[in-house]
Amino acid sequence: MPVIDRQKYAGLLATGARILLLPCWLIAFAVMLQGYSDVGDGFSAGVIAALGVLLQGLAFGSEELDRMTLSRIAPILSFVGLGIALTTVFTPLMFGEELMTHWPGIDGEMHHFGILEFATPVVFDLGVFLVVYGFCVGSVHAIAREEVRQGKVRERVRNLRAKRIKDLHADTTGETSA
Amino acid sequence: MDLSNLATMNPAMVLLVAAFAAPLVVSVLGAVRYDLVPRAAMVMTALAFLVAIWTCFQDDSLVNVPWAPTWSMNFYLTLDGLARMYALLATGIGFFVVLYASKYMELHLLHDDRPLSEQTRFFGFLLLFMASMVGLVMAQDLILLFVFWDLTAIASYFLIGFDRNEEESRSSAQMALLVTGITAIFVLLGALWLFAIHGTFALPEIIASSDGGRNAGIAVGLIVLGALAKSAQVPMHFWLPRAMAAPTPVSAYLHSAAMVAAGVFLIGRVYPLVAQYDWLMDGLVVIGFASMAVGGVIALTRNVLKQILAYSTISQYGYVVAMFGLGGEKGVIGATFYVLAHALVKSALFMTAGTVTEATGKKSLSDVGGLARRMPLLAVGSGMASAGLIALPLTIGFFKDELFFGAAHARGSEFAVLSVFGAALTFTYILRFWKQTFFGKLRTEPREVSGLLVWPVVVLGVTTVVGGLWTAPAVWIAEHAASVSAGATAHIHVAYHLDSRPENVMAVATWVMGTTLYLTRSLWWPAALGVAHLGEFFGPARGYRVVLGGLNQLSDSIHRIEVRDLRSRVATILFPAGALVGLAVILTPNRGSFAVGAIGRDDLPLITMMVASIVSAVVVVLVRDHFRIAIGLSSVGYSLAGVYAFMGAPDVTMVALVVETVLGIFIMGMLALMPRPILRFETEVRAEKRAVRRDAAMALIAGGITFFVAWGALSRPSSSTEVIDSQAVLTEAVHGKDIVTVILADFRGFDTMGEVTVIALTLLGVISLLRSGRLR
Repeated sequence: MPVIDRQKYAGLLATGARILLLPCWLIAFAVMLQGYSDVGDGFSAGVIAALGVLLQGLAFGSEELDRMTLSRIAPILSFVGLGIALTTVFTPLMFGEELMTHWPGIDGEMHHFGILEFATPVVFDLGVFLVVYGFCVGSVHAIAREEVRQGKVRERVRNLRAKRIKDLHADTTGETSA
Repeated sequence: MDLSNLATMNPAMVLLVAAFAAPLVVSVLGAVRYDLVPRAAMVMTALAFLVAIWTCFQDDSLVNVPWAPTWSMNFYLTLDGLARMYALLATGIGFFVVLYASKYMELHLLHDDRPLSEQTRFFGFLLLFMASMVGLVMAQDLILLFVFWDLTAIASYFLIGFDRNEEESRSSAQMALLVTGITAIFVLLGALWLFAIHGTFALPEIIASSDGGRNAGIAVGLIVLGALAKSAQVPMHFWLPRAMAAPTPVSAYLHSAAMVAAGVFLIGRVYPLVAQYDWLMDGLVVIGFASMAVGGVIALTRNVLKQILAYSTISQYGYVVAMFGLGGEKGVIGATFYVLAHALVKSALFMTAGTVTEATGKKSLSDVGGLARRMPLLAVGSGMASAGLIALPLTIGFFKDELFFGAAHARGSEFAVLSVFGAALTFTYILRFWKQTFFGKLRTEPREVSGLLVWPVVVLGVTTVVGGLWTAPAVWIAEHAASVSAGATAHIHVAYHLDSRPENVMAVATWVMGTTLYLTRSLWWPAALGVAHLGEFFGPARGYRVVLGGLNQLSDSIHRIEVRDLRSRVATILFPAGALVGLAVILTPNRGSFAVGAIGRDDLPLITMMVASIVSAVVVVLVRDHFRIAIGLSSVGYSLAGVYAFMGAPDVTMVALVVETVLGIFIMGMLALMPRPILRFETEVRAEKRAVRRDAAMALIAGGITFFVAWGALSRPSSSTEVIDSQAVLTEAVHGKDIVTVILADFRGFDTMGEVTVIALTLLGVISLLRSGRLR
């Protein structure tokens, strides 16, 4: 495996990561909100937003992910998103409509606020966005945390072994280890 | 509850609510205070029993509300005579069983060193059992009936397997569930078939419009088949003796007023249909007498107390089935009355067996004896019940046999002889059971037992005798029940006659023959034992084991092939998929499909990206260390994203790019988690030549076929763009401009919903796996 000099690139990566976080989220929101008129939807928006956050983890280590609110609440966001998506699917039942009837309907009028459209498919897409974002960040974060934990365990084992070898050495040379 | 309102309430609904309130209350209470569960169960069952008694003073009532109207299913209950009788049995016997269990289960759990909180589960399922019986006997919609029918099977599964730490319990529960559950499918099939013929699931309408057609006969036959299996009739009887692995109160209930009774109840319920077909009636007679003989002969040879009673049940329900088959007013009345009388005595006898085992710690007849001196009350109580079962005068049991003999004699003398022989068998093994338990040498000194383990037996025993002296209530109940089955008002005349009418002669003949059999048992014992052994070796139980074992092996071998390692799993998907699709490609007319188009200058960027993806794919196969494989896979993905871009699919390109990136991070993370030595070992070890060749062949087949399919599809684009056009129009109509997004969120929104749910659940899985540290 090629050895990368981390020190040499750390500054560049860290700066880039910090600079890119906000644009990532802006792009994600744009991609999601204008999904109905242009390329993109909640799914890719979720992944883009997640990449912005994960980049911080790559640059500053998993401790940064532990610190950031955006990554800590990711799993919760994922289930909030599932709730939103399922609500938009099942709510029409309460009004005597079929499952997943969207509003406004074919004859309805669409209300706009800039590029933002007031329509249930957008709400549904927001749910998809949150689920995907939460999944990407949450699962990678879980893996990273496990990696750190295992690293600590390995280090403890190594230290114990080193200590024991030292003790053994001390015993054989006749000295007493305090 | 206001009592003046009660009179105006629908009795059927009240009974159903009272019955289902019992398991609900007990389960909820058990979560908070498990020590109160037995008492709560007693109160709730008593309440249900009182409601059942109250309904006897009410007119017939029905509930019929649409349930799933598009499928013609109604929530259709009727509280008629038949329902009333079985509901009385289910709640009444249920009450005594709960009374008995309140002490028994405490001791049972203490013996096994189990926490008393497990009582909640026991009483919860016992009462669910009762409630589903009550629902079943009132159900008139065949689908509703099937639901309750299966509910009894499920409740019985958990009750039979209550001692889940014992293998015997578990396999018995499985056997009961499989035998009664698989045959329940026949009931469902019959119901659907009847629906196809009559256009309704409502039983009264089906009965009213049935004309004895051949197809309807087969449908009814299927329902009867399910009923016979539930009533443990030959040859589907083998699950019942095994089911006595359940705690004794369950056996007492299952054999008298629930499970097994449900089978004959169903025959009684559909009897107006059954009676139209002579071949069904003859079948019932044959199966009934066969069960009588098989159950009786094996019961003679058993040594374990509960087994004697279990085989006895098979035989007693054989009487009932045979009487239904003999038919006529006498047959129907006899069958109905028999169920009533049998429930009383059989529950008492099972409880006796349980108490004896509890007091002495012994389960077998040969280990107990002379208990009458130590437990006189139990001896008298179970003596009365035994007298009822062997039809001595002055018990309710006398009339059940009298009606049986009457029905058999009416059909012909050969049936009379058979029935006397069957009754004599019963006489012999019950005499043996009771006499050897309570008389003779005292083999094991019994412990003091709680009154709750004795008094239910005594009360049921006394009821047996009182029922023989004051016959009016039992006759009233049975008459009304039989009227439903017969489809006309039935009359029962029971009284003691001191003359030589055929029934009396047959009864006397039974006693003489039974006593003779008992006294000469050393003579026929080996022969009976031989028959029992023969049944064990060649009986249906063996077939069940063979089939079950075979299924297990099949499942294991498929499991071994499919999920032994990742390679096999991928191969089992790729290879059949490739082969099947290849077959389809060969069989589909494909003239002109595999055209090679011209390559222009404009195609250069596209071709470049394709070459890049091909090169990365080949590299993935050649390199050996995991890091490079992961990088190679990512390259394939990115190059493909480029291909999409040049083919004019920006949505797909964007998703492919971002997903590929996240996937790369994922794979790196997983590699980092894996122990280094294992990764190194995997990298260095060389696979067997044969395995490599196999993998290569499978990959080539799957890949080659995919290539051909893609080629064929691309070189001849679908001529019909109807779907695409209509969706493009619709996209405008729903205020969208990007068709891909509209499809995802709207047209195919259900798919997206499913995918999103899967993603969220996967996250749950990943987190719970990693948090508990199992990924190592």
